[in-house]
Amino acid sequence: MNMHKDNMTNTKNINLIDDNVISDPVMEEQIARGISDLLNNRAQHLKPEQEQHLSAARNAAVNYLAEQQAQYSTGAGHGYVLRWFGHHVGQNFEQHRVASTGLLLVVMLLTFFAVQHFGFNNNLENSDAYLLASDLPPEAYADKGFDAWIESN
Amino acid sequence: MATPKELSDFLIAIERRAFKQTAYAVRDDHAALDIVQDAMMKLAEKYGDRPATEFPMLFQRILQNTMRDFWRRQKVRNLWTTLFSSFGSNDADSEERDPLETIDVEDDSDEPSAQLARSQTIQLIERALEKLPARQREAFVLRYWEEMDVAETAEIMGCSDGSVKTHCSRAVHALALELKKQGLDKLGLSNAVFDKK
Repeated sequence: MNMHKDNMTNTKNINLIDDNVISDPVMEEQIARGISDLLNNRAQHLKPEQEQHLSAARNAAVNYLAEQQAQYSTGAGHGYVLRWFGHHVGQNFEQHRVASTGLLLVVMLLTFFAVQHFGFNNNLENSDAYLLASDLPPEAYADKGFDAWIESN
Repeated sequence: MATPKELSDFLIAIERRAFKQTAYAVRDDHAALDIVQDAMMKLAEKYGDRPATEFPMLFQRILQNTMRDFWRRQKVRNLWTTLFSSFGSNDADSEERDPLETIDVEDDSDEPSAQLARSQTIQLIERALEKLPARQREAFVLRYWEEMDVAETAEIMGCSDGSVKTHCSRAVHALALELKKQGLDKLGLSNAVFDKK
């Protein structure tokens, strides 16, 4: 009954369209509501094939969400290990597969270079210690005539 | 996190309106169905973990963005079509065709006089809505049809509250004047027409 009254009021409002009336904000709002009600009414009467299409689309979306939630609850989804750090962490990595793979590669490369860098420094330190602790003085290894002198004697 | 049932209930509530809104914007029912389908799937894929209370805003934003994507694709397609058609025949008749003439007129023959009168009114409104500039139509649809407040509409449209008010006001004025121009107040639509709804 109320809806019926609303429709009657809206119809009157639309039928009273006038330049002076439109400039009134209240009437402007009522005209807009009246038009919206008519459009709403129209939207409830779609063709059967359109209804079917919308229904199929809705079911697809709902099924997708149900599957996602089922996977998440059983832990069978991708990115499960990362979800140990929290749901959003795992989900973000899952959503950005390329980015997360790239990030992983960068971390691996950095690790490799870091190991190489620190490993080379260790070698230098070891060779310095060897030279200092050797029976021969360090100058002996730098003297290019030393080997020749050893051989000649 | 929203449950599948909450998502389903939400989509049932808005799918028809979303379809009609999209159809008014893109003027193609098949494209409108595809756009709504895409928007539904994106909502489930990207925002399925959000609470159901956020769905209306998120869905409207997705829908508007999907429509913009459609228009971008259409623009590129039209560019190629124009390019190729310039090599084809120059048929003057095809250039003068009014797209509004090709809009389907639904047959509401079950209650002849009342259905016809209401159908004519709604068709006038639909055509007036289609003629609105995109931003004005977007503001009108979100503010009045989706019953969002000014701030929510502004957030979805990516503009200020003042702009929303301006767009809405201009849209209502344009709609009202267009309807008046079409003689809506002289159509003899009595309240009885709406009594039979």
